[in-house]
Order: sequence, then structure tokens, then C-alpha cells
Amino acid sequence: MFSFLKILARNLILGPSTDPFPHGETFTPEGLRGKIRFDASACVGCRMCEHVCAAGAIRIEETADKSGLEFVLWHNSCAFCGLCEHYCQTKAIRLTEDWHMAHRQEEKYGYVEKGVVGYVPCSRCGDPMVPVAPQLMKIAYRETNRDIEKLRDLCPDCRLKQSVGGR
Amino acid sequence: MKNMLKRIAKRSPWLYRINAGSCNGCDVELATTACIPRFDVERLGCKYCGSPKHADIVLVTGPLTARVKEKVLRLYAEIPDPKVTVAVGICPISGGVFRDSYAIEGPIDRYLPVDVNVPGCPPRPQAIIEGIAEAIEIWATRL
Ligand code: SF4
Repeated sequence: MFSFLKILARNLILGPSTDPFPHGETFTPEGLRGKIRFDASACVGCRMCEHVCAAGAIRIEETADKSGLEFVLWHNSCAFCGLCEHYCQTKAIRLTEDWHMAHRQEEKYGYVEKGVVGYVPCSRCGDPMVPVAPQLMKIAYRETNRDIEKLRDLCPDCRLKQSVGGR
Repeated sequence: MKNMLKRIAKRSPWLYRINAGSCNGCDVELATTACIPRFDVERLGCKYCGSPKHADIVLVTGPLTARVKEKVLRLYAEIPDPKVTVAVGICPISGGVFRDSYAIEGPIDRYLPVDVNVPGCPPRPQAIIEGIAEAIEIWATRL
């Protein structure tokens, strides 16, 4: 009959179990999949993320002035599935642990992650090309030397000629 | 008298939940915010209610499927003004992974005025609470 007294006493000792959020700090478990961050300097424009995105949240297009590729991710469509991070070879896309995403309707279409990968000229023919990120060189060659580094500044056509023709 | 009512009402908006064809993921998170003492939205002064006629803040989940569209709109019309609408999860906001499906009529802002968006698939309870806190702020200005 007095079992509630036991519960009462226990609760008095343990204190409230409610998370103080939003009036105070809360916890975030490690590895929580939240908002995505894009690092333009590591992106090689392979468009894999756009291809695997289940929710069609990612779009990669040439900028209006044709000076590079523009990456746009609409947070309001992302399902946090993490496929983009999984398939991104250079890890230009990362899921952060940031889950503070509530926003007003006015911001709906502006709630995006953006980045521009600017073209660089090929060192031989001068054609604009997507820069080869150091991360990709690492994956492709593990160690690089001067000869390999030279290939880095060449556009795909010139690179082919250089590596097959040897000059 | 009216002023006094307004003052009181400001602090205790009632929540109402509409499932517009959701997969139940967001609904589970909403239930979590209400039923588990750890998250407990009710300490913000709000309370879930069972009738649309009592509601002040409407939480919508799901991409608005063709099948439930009419019912959702009818239900929404029953909620007295002023009201604040919160879209919970990416489905009501953009259609999410179901976007462009023939069975989807949403996103819901094509039919209902939305005030707050809480993206995520599903958003975690804290994110939902953050969205509701935002909605309560809007609610205070509408009275
Ligand atoms: S996490 Fe998944 S749904 Fe979100 S953008 Fe990446 S691939 Fe698309």
C-alpha cells in the first residue's frame, strides 16, 4: 500500500530525469548523423554523391559563369542515410553531429549547404578542368613523386597523352 | 477578461498531431517527446490534445499521400485560428525520399500554411522540441 512512498523517496534522491534541453545543455551520441558539411577543396567533381543520394538532395552543376562546379545540398530533403559520405572517395562530404535544424518557413529554400569547385587551367593546353584534390592523388598513387605530381596539373586528355606517350 | 485569457493562453498552447501518410518514424519520435520523461515537451507548457478543435500548434508528419489528402485538409480546417503549423521530418517539407511519386500530393505547404520546418529523417526528439519551442514563440505573437 505504501509502495508509492518508496518510489517517492527514490525519486527524491535521484532527482529529475528530464533532459534540461531546451533550457540547458543536452547530450549528442557519438556518430549521430546530422547536417552535412561539404569541403570544396577535396571534391573532384565525380558526382557520385549526386548519383547515390536517395532523396535527391544533392545537385552538382556548372556555375553560370562557367568558372567551376557548384555543389548544392538541400538540408530539407536529406534523410541522413550517409550514402554520400560512404561513396565519396575523397571524403569531401562529411556528416556532422549537428542536429539543430529547426527553422522558420521563410528560410525553407535557403537552408542549403553550398560550395564551388573552381576550375583550374591545364598546364599544357590551358583548358579549364576540375582540380585534382591531393586526397585523390593519395588514393590513386599512395605515394607521389615529381613525375606523378606533374600529371596532376594536366587535363584528362593531356594526362592520357603524357602517360601513354611518356612526354 | 479577454486580455487575461490571452495571457494565460500564451503559456499553454495545445499540440495536435496529424499523420499525413507518414512511415511512423517521425510519429514515434513525437510520441517519445511526449511520453518519455527524459524529453517531456509538456514542461514547455504545451499538451497533446485529442481533438482538432482544441489545438493551437499542429504538428504534421508524412508527405501528404493522395489517399489522405482530403481528410488531412478537412481536419486542418477544423482547427480554430490562430494556429501554428510545424512540419516534422523531411517528408512534409519537401516530399523527402518519396518526392515525385504518383501517390504523393505534398509537400504540404502547397495546401497549408507552414510556419516551422524541422528536417530530419526522422529528427531526433531534441530537434523536435527545438521546433516546438520556435512554434510557441510564434504562437505568442499570434494571440
Ligand atoms: S545523406 Fe543520403 S539522403 Fe542525405 S544527401 Fe546524402 S545521400 Fe542524400
